[in-house]
Amino acid sequence: MALLGRIWNTAKSMFVGHSITLREMFTTPITVFYPEEKPPMERGSRSVPVLKVNEGTGLLNCVSCGLCERSCPPSCIKIEQALDAKGDRQSWPEAFELNLSHCMVCNLCVEACPFDALEMADVVELCSYQVQDLIFDKQQLAEIWKTSRSLRVANGERL
Amino acid sequence: MNILLAAILKVIGVLMFVGLNAYILIWGERKVSGHIQRRIGPIRVGGPSGIMQSAADILKLMSKEDFVPSGADWWLWVLAPVVSVAPAVLVYLVLPIGRTLVLRNLNVGLVFFSSVSSFTLLGIFMAGWGSNNKYSLLGAMRAGAQLFSYEIPLILSTIGVVMLAGSLTLQRIVAAQTHYGWFIFPQIVGFIVFFVASVAELNRTPFDLAEAESELVAGYFTEYSGMRWAMFAIAEYSNLFTLSALGVTLFLGGWHGPLLPGWVWFVLKSYFLVFVGIWIRWTLPRVRIDQLMDLGWKFLFPVSVLNLLGTGLYLMVR
Amino acid sequence: MSDSGRPVRVEAGPALAPHLPTSNDAGVVPTIGPDGERKLMTINLGPQHPSTHGVLRLIVTVDGEQIVHVVPDIGYLHRNFEKIVERWSYPGIVPFSDRNDYIAAITNEVAVALAIEKLAGIEVPPRAVHLRVLFSELQRILSHILFYGTYGLDLGAFTPFLYAFREREWGYTLMEKATGARMLYAYNRVGGLRNDVSDEWLADLAKFLDFVEHKAMPEYMGLLIDNEIFRERTIGVGKLTQEQAIAWGAAGPVLRATGIPWDLRKNAPYLCYDQFEFDVPVGTNGDVYDSTMVRMREILESVRIIRQVLKTLPNGPVLAKVRPTLSPAAGDYYSRVEGPRGEVGVFLISDGTTKPYRLKWRAPTFCHLQLTPLMAAGGKIADLIAVVGSYDVIMGECDR
Repeated sequence: MALLGRIWNTAKSMFVGHSITLREMFTTPITVFYPEEKPPMERGSRSVPVLKVNEGTGLLNCVSCGLCERSCPPSCIKIEQALDAKGDRQSWPEAFELNLSHCMVCNLCVEACPFDALEMADVVELCSYQVQDLIFDKQQLAEIWKTSRSLRVANGERL
Repeated sequence: MNILLAAILKVIGVLMFVGLNAYILIWGERKVSGHIQRRIGPIRVGGPSGIMQSAADILKLMSKEDFVPSGADWWLWVLAPVVSVAPAVLVYLVLPIGRTLVLRNLNVGLVFFSSVSSFTLLGIFMAGWGSNNKYSLLGAMRAGAQLFSYEIPLILSTIGVVMLAGSLTLQRIVAAQTHYGWFIFPQIVGFIVFFVASVAELNRTPFDLAEAESELVAGYFTEYSGMRWAMFAIAEYSNLFTLSALGVTLFLGGWHGPLLPGWVWFVLKSYFLVFVGIWIRWTLPRVRIDQLMDLGWKFLFPVSVLNLLGTGLYLMVR
Repeated sequence: MSDSGRPVRVEAGPALAPHLPTSNDAGVVPTIGPDGERKLMTINLGPQHPSTHGVLRLIVTVDGEQIVHVVPDIGYLHRNFEKIVERWSYPGIVPFSDRNDYIAAITNEVAVALAIEKLAGIEVPPRAVHLRVLFSELQRILSHILFYGTYGLDLGAFTPFLYAFREREWGYTLMEKATGARMLYAYNRVGGLRNDVSDEWLADLAKFLDFVEHKAMPEYMGLLIDNEIFRERTIGVGKLTQEQAIAWGAAGPVLRATGIPWDLRKNAPYLCYDQFEFDVPVGTNGDVYDSTMVRMREILESVRIIRQVLKTLPNGPVLAKVRPTLSPAAGDYYSRVEGPRGEVGVFLISDGTTKPYRLKWRAPTFCHLQLTPLMAAGGKIADLIAVVGSYDVIMGECDR
């Protein structure tokens, strides 16, 4: 009798499993044809911190205060403050380098920035064969900001 | 001279069919498994159906490096794929594809089929032993135990059909099904035993212990690549078709069927059984080696013997 | 220095580390069978093997198919987490801890954030506490769904994996909407959360929960868990007694499978778990089937908790005012949370500066892997795969 029960259980569970797979066979596939058809990035997706450009002046918002550099846990941001001919400090960066191969996209730099100069862009296709190509300077970062959708999320605001 | 020519033509025909069949089945398995998993399967090569995917694969496999693992037993290792393809081709000799379409109507067709298909084990064992790899060895040992124990219920389950038909000739067995109706109805137990045992014979999930990916990486063909690996794949899919075809011959009326010509019915029914095999493969998890042996010796074997007993009693009282 | 005189933090140089016996040393791996006659075979399962969940290496001694001994060899994914964070400021540890248990990143973040907040005496707003519960439970659902998929793969069924990824994709899209990332969220901050979630998102989440409970779970059970082959493969395999489980430091589903209803959400409530009603599923035999069932039932319990959170979610801010340079008072604190795999613990020592003096991570996978020889010996090779799979191994948190 126990044997018959086991046979019955086996047959029943096999039937249930196979009916599930057969049913799924005739439902629409959920495949996304990636290179041709890109799934939408959600609003606020983070992929790379970029430098915001002031729309009025066309200059960077960054004043080279260095707060993002200090807040960055893996130290992937390098800022060099601009100096004038006399050697006085200016309020724009001479160089702003972001090493994307170190960056962990944690958003802490964006939160540290008091001048609304950093945003998170949502471009993911930034891969490269060379690590050197993943070190972005300020022009490249501003270019990504111009060509992609980016967003500043900080301080617990509602997304 | 004509006999020789006819023989050569037949061989070429069989080889072409074996290749084409493996081609279609590999593509079909990918498509079916894809749709079962709500994917699409191959779509890029050869139009939206991806029919040329296997051709692209063959090109890739042919261009691969011919790699022999160090410490391999060279002769065994090299001959193993050939040895496993040979029986897969040989069994086509007796398959009754149509009313008159059979390469050689042997009077011991069924015995020929089962004895030749047992040679697959030899190829697997040579591959496992010759590879100088522990996974391969374990896979070959598993295959040895498995194929040996499932051969017996497989043959016993066919004997019921032989008793009803009164012949070992596959053509006569098919012809007898005009009289009795399909043998699946009087021999339903035999059919189930046959089907389970043939899935085990084919080393496919849930009985794919010999190549068990999550345990033994790829089992007996872990070390094979390129065309040598492809020959194992061809043998596997060819066996899948021939065992399904044997099931159709014995239990599903062979080439019988309305309207369409006999060989079309035969191929259609065989592909239906192949589809069921693919469907099972992509649904069930794998059994363990001791459970496999239990199922073979403690369940399928007694059941098929009981089935034989029942068939014998029926023939006596009739 | 701790009281016993041993350094709690290694300063520099390899000389301080004593030579511990490794699996490569003679005598660790037996080669002669118990009767002294039969030669045993040693197999290296991994670090590259289809079912080692990353880079786990198992040195398996087999007598034919029978397993005599297993030595897990870890460390292939070592990233020096504990040492690196000694040079980082406190807020940076939270996003970095995502990389430990990368399948349940929120759990790590909550554990670290709780420890830092406790040491620094930061009060977290109630909405953030509720949302942390919500995200922890959503993360548990997603982690257990992935477990279902990979466990099916371990047992030779491929299709459950892709069905699991179907729901996981939806869940990860939800996570991306809320946190901005799909896997390594960097969502918790010291003092709360990075951002609030919208009401539409909460409505979407409710739909996802309904789908998981009414559509996905019956399908999972029917396709794999209730299947007779699956039951045969798992019932009675890798049996663990309650004493063994406690002695070896098992936690989470592996411990609860033995019948001990130990769940930190109930036994040592953190966040606001004491406000919600839920059951702690337990098994009876301590085998891998029971731990699978515990996980499956925990999905439903998590759904229940999230529904309650959705009902009682208070309004208000989600981030407390925290000074940018955080220097907690000197002291230590051990915060522990119930992760999907078991107890995730963070022992944090502060010396009053802006950088932690020492951080010790307690990873459930690390403790569970020690059980492997105990649970797998005497079984077949297939049982070993079932046992290791049943821990839901994440090597990222084991090697850290």
